[in-house]
Amino acid sequence: MLYKNEHENVDIDRVFNSPAEEYDVFIRIAREEDIAVARQMAKQLAQEAGFSLADITKIATAVSELARNIYRYAGQGRIMIKKLLNEREGPYLEVIASDRGPGIAEIELVMTKGYTTYERSLGIGLSGVKRLMDSFAIYSEVGKGTVVIAGKRRRKF
Amino acid sequence: MKKLISNARSSRVVPVISLGEFLLVPIQIDLDDRTVGLLQQQILEELENTRAQAVIIDVRMVDVIDSYISYTISETAAMARLMGCRTVLCGIQPPVALTLAQMGVMLQDIIVARDLEHALLVAGSQSGVG
Repeated sequence: MLYKNEHENVDIDRVFNSPAEEYDVFIRIAREEDIAVARQMAKQLAQEAGFSLADITKIATAVSELARNIYRYAGQGRIMIKKLLNEREGPYLEVIASDRGPGIAEIELVMTKGYTTYERSLGIGLSGVKRLMDSFAIYSEVGKGTVVIAGKRRRKF
Repeated sequence: MKKLISNARSSRVVPVISLGEFLLVPIQIDLDDRTVGLLQQQILEELENTRAQAVIIDVRMVDVIDSYISYTISETAAMARLMGCRTVLCGIQPPVALTLAQMGVMLQDIIVARDLEHALLVAGSQSGVG
């Protein structure tokens, strides 16, 4: 099920099996501590890529939300970040969160601010990520897993 | 009871300073999920022991506050309120404020102040004694 048709037909298995060498940051999320590790590594990469402090903070926060979702709902998965160069728009970071968890049946519902199935939560995880990033797409199949692809452009100041 | 106290001490994650009626909590560590849970527990225990009227949480050294950290801070403030204590959050960095505003995070049961000095003023002026 596609939330936003930016990337055509993403194959969840293919994304999940993609090798670590394809990314600048590759973190396996399996323990609670990995959420903070993912956040720190995202921050470091965004810093190296020359993002503004405001955008570094937004990217690190978005990665924190995505890593926590993986840990909470799927138990384990991966956070991968790529530094890319778009000729027209300049450099940008692409964050991919993938898991082979239960998948999401009602994507529109989980994208609604305030909706949560977790008892200790504000329910703004995914909708927050969408607000913080420039692009956002989520693919999920019940029983197969979930892939979130979010990108942030580097702004000139 | 003795065991409870020793447990509380062993789970301390930040140094808490008792200053008159206030409890100062400067956060100078990365708030991972485990730490933020322990922090909540520690604040509630310190509140019980010190009878403070306001707890001031200084987050000027914290560079990422995500939805779970926000939720836990709000929850801690709600618990503190039930124990008769106000919560003042101060020192939110500009990029963090921007991020929280963009995500649409509402910090409930919390008084927000600019810095520690402002926090002491706000906490004191609303206590009816300062």
